[in-house]
Amino acid sequence: MNWLGFSAIANAWWLLLLVPLLVFYFLKLKRPRVEISSLVLWQSVVNDQRVNSPFQKFRRNILLWLQMAVLILLILAAMQPFVPGAAEQADYQPILIDCSASMGATDPVTGRTRLEVAKERVFDLIDNLNPDQQISLIAVHSSADRLTEFTGNRRILHDALAAVRVRDVRSQLEDAFRLTQALAKTAPVESAVLFSDGNIPDKVRFALPFLVNYQQLPAAGPNAGITAFNARLTSSQDWDVFLRVESSADVSGQIVLLQDGQQTGEQPFVLGSGESQQIAFRVTSEISTKLEARLTTGNTQFDSLAADNVAWLDLPPARPLRVYAAPQLDSFRRALTATPGVDLFPKPKQPEQRSVPYDLVISDESADEELIAAVHFLVGVTPKDTESLVEPSSALTKFLDWDRTTPLLRHMQLRDVEIADAVQPVGGVDVRDFEEAGYSVVATGSNGPLILRKRSSSRLTFHTLFHTSRSTLEFRVAFPVLVANLVQLVRQEAAVGDVAGVQTGVLPAVDLNAGATYEITGPDDTLQTVLADETGQLRGVTANQVGRYRISGGDSEQRSIAANLLSSAESTLTPVSSIEFDEQTVAPADEFLTTNRPVWSIVTFLAFGLLLVEWWFFQRPRTRHPSQASAPKSV
Amino acid sequence: MTDVQARAQLTPLLSNETLARVERLRLRPNRRLTNRARGEHSVGTGGATIDFADYRDYVAGDDIRYVDWNIFARLQRPYLKLYAHEEELHVVIILDASSSMASEGKFERVRQLAAAFSTMALLGTEQVSLFATTGTGERPTTLQSCSGRSATRLVFEFLESVSPGGDSTIDTAIASALRVHRGRGIAIVLSDFLTTGDVSRSFNLLNSAGLELFALQLLGPNEIEPDLTGDVRLVDCETGRTLDVSSARDLLDLYHEHRLAQQTWLSSQCRRRNGRFESVSSDNTLESILFETLLRRGWVR
Repeated sequence: MNWLGFSAIANAWWLLLLVPLLVFYFLKLKRPRVEISSLVLWQSVVNDQRVNSPFQKFRRNILLWLQMAVLILLILAAMQPFVPGAAEQADYQPILIDCSASMGATDPVTGRTRLEVAKERVFDLIDNLNPDQQISLIAVHSSADRLTEFTGNRRILHDALAAVRVRDVRSQLEDAFRLTQALAKTAPVESAVLFSDGNIPDKVRFALPFLVNYQQLPAAGPNAGITAFNARLTSSQDWDVFLRVESSADVSGQIVLLQDGQQTGEQPFVLGSGESQQIAFRVTSEISTKLEARLTTGNTQFDSLAADNVAWLDLPPARPLRVYAAPQLDSFRRALTATPGVDLFPKPKQPEQRSVPYDLVISDESADEELIAAVHFLVGVTPKDTESLVEPSSALTKFLDWDRTTPLLRHMQLRDVEIADAVQPVGGVDVRDFEEAGYSVVATGSNGPLILRKRSSSRLTFHTLFHTSRSTLEFRVAFPVLVANLVQLVRQEAAVGDVAGVQTGVLPAVDLNAGATYEITGPDDTLQTVLADETGQLRGVTANQVGRYRISGGDSEQRSIAANLLSSAESTLTPVSSIEFDEQTVAPADEFLTTNRPVWSIVTFLAFGLLLVEWWFFQRPRTRHPSQASAPKSV
Repeated sequence: MTDVQARAQLTPLLSNETLARVERLRLRPNRRLTNRARGEHSVGTGGATIDFADYRDYVAGDDIRYVDWNIFARLQRPYLKLYAHEEELHVVIILDASSSMASEGKFERVRQLAAAFSTMALLGTEQVSLFATTGTGERPTTLQSCSGRSATRLVFEFLESVSPGGDSTIDTAIASALRVHRGRGIAIVLSDFLTTGDVSRSFNLLNSAGLELFALQLLGPNEIEPDLTGDVRLVDCETGRTLDVSSARDLLDLYHEHRLAQQTWLSSQCRRRNGRFESVSSDNTLESILFETLLRRGWVR
C-alpha cells in the first residue's frame, strides 16, 4: 500500500548530509580541555571494552542519534511528504462548481446552502494542494465562467472561490465542458471535477476528451416552487393566467396573485413528492398590467429555495394578432379567417398597407420579406444567401424527417405529403452549409432541406423551399395544424395574446432608441450599462437574479422586465442519476473526493520537538549516581 | 576571622573548638601493634600498672609477690593477680602532597585531618611521625618521631609548612617512609589513591613493618560526580598527559562503576591486612568527617 508520497523526492539527495555529519562526529578535532586530578579512573573507563567498541560508542551517543534524527526529519519535510488521497490527482485539475439556482437550496438542519457545502470541499482541495499541482476554477450556471487560470496560488484560488455566488438560473453544462476543453489545450488535463447537487441536465451534447469526477452533493431540504407562469388572452380583455407549482416533497400551501400590487386571487395547493399542479386565475385588463405570484407553504413546512417562490408576468395591452397573408395564398387566408383573435390583412377592397407593422407575414413573394413583422413565413421563397446552394428540381419529394419539438411543427404528420418542384441542394452541399449561412433545417426531404428557420436580431423567419400549392400539404390535416402552430408561435414571439414569464439568464430584447445608452438596475441593485444597437434593440442584458430589472436612460420612459426562475429541474431538487454525454455516461462518484494531505508541517514540528528533547537532554539537572544516593558525602 | 581571633588560634588548621573536641578522642587500632617501650596503650595482662586485669593459676617460677594471698587463705590454692600492661604506640601519618591533591581543597582537608590525628596521638602519649610526599626521586618531607603535648606545636608547624606539588605516588611515599621509620603501631595514609602504582605492595610493607593500616581516601566533588559533557580532552594535572573522551556524560555510569570498584578493591586490600579504609569527600567539613564518619566507623573513640 502506498501510504506516503513525496512531492519533492529530489530533496532526498540532502540525506547525503548524513555522511559529513558522521565524519565530523568521528573526526572531532577541537575538544575542550579539562584539567583533572588524575587520569587513572578515566583511563580505565576508556580502556573498558564496552567503550572501545565502535558500535557501542556509536550506540551510546544520543547526541549523534538526535542530530541524525533531526536532520532526517528536516530533509523529510523538504521532500514534502503527503498522505495520498482516494482520488488520483492530476497536475492540472479543472474544478467545475455548479452555482445554479438549486445550489442555493438550504439544508433544514444546518441552514447551509449546497453551494456553501461545495465551496467548503473545494477550499479543502485548495488547502491540500500539492506544490506541483494547479487548479482552475470554473463556475457553472446557464453558461460558464472561468474564475481562475491554472494556478497553485492558494490566495488567488481562495479569493476566486469566496466570490462565487448562487445565480438564479438553470444549469447548463455544455459551455462549462467546452471551456474545460479549451483549457485542456493550454495544459495537460486528464480529468475534471464537477461539484453539483445533481439538478442538471441528464444529457449533455459533448464528447468528453477527459475523465469527469462527478461529486454529487447531499440533498437539501424539501422545496416547492413556481415552475411556469404564463397567460393567454381569451377575449378582448380577459386573460387566463396559468401557474404550475412543483414540489420535491409532500407540501401544501397557497398561491397569491397580485395585479399591479393588489391581490386579485388566492388558491391553495397540495402536492406530493415529485408532483406538480396547475393553477389558473382569470385576470381582466385592457391595458398592460403587471402580475406577481407568490407561493407560501404551511407555517411548519420548510422550503429550501426562495428564488422560485415568486414570479412575475407583464401582460401587454389586449389586442388581436395582426397577420398579413398574401392575397394569392387562399388556403392560408381561409385557415386564418377561422382562427379567433386574428386580424387578417390585407382586407378585401382595401389598399394594402406595407409600412404598418404586422405580427406575422405569410407570403410567397420575396418582396414581402421587407414588411415589418415579428415572424415571416415565406412560402417557396429561397433565401437570397442560400440561392447558390440550391437548384430547381422537378422531381417529386417527400418529408423524411422534421423537428417535432420546434413549435412550428408540433403535432404534425408530414409523412404522406408529396411535394413537386422543390429546390434541391446542388452537388456537395449538405446541411452544414445551410447552418454556416445562419439557417437551421427544421424539416428535411428526400432531396434535401425543405423548411429553413433563421432567427435574426429582430425577427424570426421560416422559408419553405417548396410552394405549398405544389404539394399535397394543403389537403392534409397537417395544414390547419401548421397554421395554428404558426399563430401560436407568433403570439409568443410578439407577446400578443399569449405571454410567458421571462426566465433568468439573459433578458429578451427590448425595442428602444437606437444608439442610446441605458442603465439596467437589477433586483440586487447591481448596475449594467448597455448600448442599444442600430435597430434600437437593447439585448444581451444579464439577469442572474430573479426580480425586476429597471431600464432607464436614453431619454425614454423607464421600463422594467421581470426575470423568473421558472425551472422544473431547479425547483424539484431531484438529482439526475447520471450525466449522459455523447459517448459515455458519468455517474456520481462513490466516495468523497479526498486529496493528498501534506504532512510536512507535522514532520517539521516533530523535528522541532526533537530539538527541544535534545536541548532538555543535555541541559537537564544531573541525577545523582545510585551509589551516591544513600551516602552523599561519605563515599 | 579577625586578627585577634586569628592570634588566639593555636593553629590555622584547626579551630580551638575542634581542637578541644579532638583532644578528647583517641585512635582505636584493631590490633595490639605496640612497642615494648612503656606507653599508655593497654595491650594485655602481666603488666606493671596498678589496673587489675585478671587471675591465673600459679605455676612454678612465678613471682610470688603477685600471689593473691587473700584468695590463697580462702581456697588454699595460689592464684596470681595480673595487672594491665601498657605499651607505647607509634602513629605514622603519611600525607599525599602530590599535585593531584591541590585541587578542590583536598590537601587542606588532608592537613587538617593529619593535625587532628597527630593531636589525638600526642595527647595519648603516642609517638607520632609525619611524612609528606614530594617529587619523584626526592625524599619525603618528614617530621621525625615525637611525643607529648608539647610536640603538637611542632606537628602544626610542620603541617602548615607542607604544600602540595610534585608527582610522587603514594606507594613510593610509603616505601620512603618505611625506610626511615622504626616502630610498630598505626600507619594513617591520607591520599586520593588516584595512582597508577600498585598500592597492595605498599600495604604489605606497612603490615610487615607492624603498622596497622588506616587508609583514608579524599576525593573532590568533581571526582565523585564529574561535571563533564560531550567530547572533552582530559589533562592530568600531575603529568600533563591527555586523554580524549567522547560523550563523557554517557560514560559517567561507567566512571562510577570504576570508582566504586577501586574503592572496593582498596577496602578489601586494607581488610585483608586488618586495616581500615574510608573514602570521604573533600567538601565535607572536618567536623563531620571526624566526629561523625570516623567516630561511627570506629576509627576513633
